Amino acid sequence: MKFKPMTAVAILAVGALSFTAIPAQAADPGVTDTEITLGMQLPQTGAASPGYNKVDDAMRAYFDYVNSKGGVYGRKITLVAKDDKYSAGLTISTASSLINESNVFAMVGSVGTQTHSAVIKDLNRRGIPDLFVNSGNSAFYTNPSKYPTTFAGLGTYVVEAKILGKYIKATYPDKKVGILYQSDDFGKNAIQGFTTAGLVFTPGKTAAGFIAGTQGSLGITSQLKQLQDAGVQVVIIASVASTTAIAALTAKALNYTPDKWVVMSVGSDATTFQTILYTKKIMPAQSAAMLAGIVSASHAPSPGEATDEYVAAFKKINDQFNTGTDKTWDNNVLQGMNIAYQTVEALMGTGKNLTRKALINWMNTKGSTLTSAALAPVGFSSKTHEAYTGFWIGEYDATAVLKPVGASRVVYTTDSAAGPVTISTFKRPAISADALPKAA
Amino acid sequence: MFKIRRNASIAIAFFVFVFAIGTFVGPYNQGQIAVALTLFIGVLSINILTGLSGQLSLGQGALMAVGGYGCALMMINAHLSMWLAIPLSLIASALVGLLLGLVAAKLSGPYLAGTTLVLALAMPTVANKFDSILGGDTGLSIDTGMPPTWLSKVMGDIAIEQWNLYVSLPFAALALFFAANLFTSQSSRRWRAVRDHESAAALVGINVERTKISVFVISSAFAGVAGALYGLRGLVGPSVFAISLSLSLLTGSILGGLRSIAGAGLGSVIIVFLPDWIGKVIHPFSLSDQVTNYLPAFVSGLLLVLTVVVNPSGLAALFAKIFRFSRVKR
Repeated sequence: MKFKPMTAVAILAVGALSFTAIPAQAADPGVTDTEITLGMQLPQTGAASPGYNKVDDAMRAYFDYVNSKGGVYGRKITLVAKDDKYSAGLTISTASSLINESNVFAMVGSVGTQTHSAVIKDLNRRGIPDLFVNSGNSAFYTNPSKYPTTFAGLGTYVVEAKILGKYIKATYPDKKVGILYQSDDFGKNAIQGFTTAGLVFTPGKTAAGFIAGTQGSLGITSQLKQLQDAGVQVVIIASVASTTAIAALTAKALNYTPDKWVVMSVGSDATTFQTILYTKKIMPAQSAAMLAGIVSASHAPSPGEATDEYVAAFKKINDQFNTGTDKTWDNNVLQGMNIAYQTVEALMGTGKNLTRKALINWMNTKGSTLTSAALAPVGFSSKTHEAYTGFWIGEYDATAVLKPVGASRVVYTTDSAAGPVTISTFKRPAISADALPKAA
Repeated sequence: MFKIRRNASIAIAFFVFVFAIGTFVGPYNQGQIAVALTLFIGVLSINILTGLSGQLSLGQGALMAVGGYGCALMMINAHLSMWLAIPLSLIASALVGLLLGLVAAKLSGPYLAGTTLVLALAMPTVANKFDSILGGDTGLSIDTGMPPTWLSKVMGDIAIEQWNLYVSLPFAALALFFAANLFTSQSSRRWRAVRDHESAAALVGINVERTKISVFVISSAFAGVAGALYGLRGLVGPSVFAISLSLSLLTGSILGGLRSIAGAGLGSVIIVFLPDWIGKVIHPFSLSDQVTNYLPAFVSGLLLVLTVVVNPSGLAALFAKIFRFSRVKR
């Protein structure tokens, strides 16, 4: 028989078309009578992973604790975390795996601004709840009509920078202030907040940028030398914790001793700072001394505040349920616990008939009632999906604990626009005896 | 003429075959096939450059980025349809390939490899330097959009990954068609002559410099289309076209076989699906994240070393040998 390629092609094409009808799904994926499957992506390996790679284990520990108490309306919570190595190309594949293979009901606590930028549009057009994202990028949250399913897990960088900026201006009025920043949305948002607070930076002199992720491989010597040459006395760091550690080492090598370091909360986790320095053969006592005096901000109590009721409860759960490779109690673990706590609260609030639409609706209408360890309220509404609207300012002491500046802790609040910075009147609700949230 | 017709038939059969596979598998695998098709074009660009002409590029991901940014800028600023922006993006990358080819013509071996590597490493700096146009570190958000309603009416509900597959497939089939013609063309004979012995090629009248430049332009055009499709998954930015992408393409090319089209196909399938296959194998053992997350890189590194030492021609050549041997036996 003579080979006729076009005939074979036509037969194959018709055959292929007959297999394309996909039956419509009746219910949202990831929810059964006995289980709720949640997904998360974060850098578990690679240069950006130190510290952040503990968040998923902390969240899982809290979910396991809730499961041990019967789950949410009888449903156990399963968290599937995927390593995206902080590479956006990989984030797209891991998101597809979570959605299509793990059949997650919602994403919770995903880490990273650059990486989340690669999937946020897709998650939203699929209608997948994208809760408590560990990024302070205001562009994700301030326009809910663009990203209706995405809600923040951190206060925005703009809010934090405005509050820190006001403090710097008031406390160091005669000092020359400069900034070391990573040149992505994190850094840009931070500069926006600081300039809104009245600080002025000059590119090439008092503002030194670097490409996020290169601080380990390329170093930040030229950037710190630039600030040193410009006579900067107060150095702000708007970057991750590995940058703070490398900046401290580099400044020492340059014999550069600014009067004050001010580090945004994402970059000031004491454990991550000390762990990174330990790999450079700097003992904990020495790194604690390097950390002492650094000013930072936080929306939650310091993990070192052992008497705080949320800290005590979460620490106990972490000790009992965290099965990760490193469960050392720190800011990252506290943040993971906090997000898991809020997730359970939102799931309980949505009710027994759990659907994606119902969860988003609950977040828009009742989300502002979410409680947690945070000392500032969340701002969730149908108009904004920003989380914490306030921060308190502290200074690290000799034991690597962030302590409030001044006589007592003052929580400041503001918005991501040009609104004023004022003192918050928010009173955090007490945690229940069993450390389980109650439905609103 | 016969060859063109035969190559067209192969490309159409490839299109139908992949289309048919795409209808049998779920959305995740459809997405993975779409990535494999995209990287197939990227690996082809290396096989043309390195396999046919002997010029080593460690920065092919940067040429993909040129195509990606070109496509994104045309879609965002000029509001062009992706069906127009994708083919046009190859012009942008071919132009950059021309500039690179002019440099490459003067260089060889490790010097050329180093130059192309610098290009890949410089990409984030360039993106930041032209922040207002290229979106800096964050990049530019583009995607294939939702499938057209007429297609959904014909085929029923189409998953986003399935639509990505349908967008990538015609370009992969076209790339296969053009590459097949290239590999059997008179030009490729000149390229091989330059690859095997530059001086001898020059002695028989081949303009070595011009040959090298033309290969770079063609290879870059392939990379540009691959970059446009890769960016259309959701984002065009430095973290999408990282140096690891260039190294992955080279790994795929070596594992599959540097000197064949089938090698590019096998290589792209390996680099895309290897982590999933490893995941399935180790799943029952409940290993820690620290082990499972590093294992794919370890295994692909091991395979790379084994290929170079034991089977330098790659898997495609090995399969061809086995096939020939089995026919002789019969």
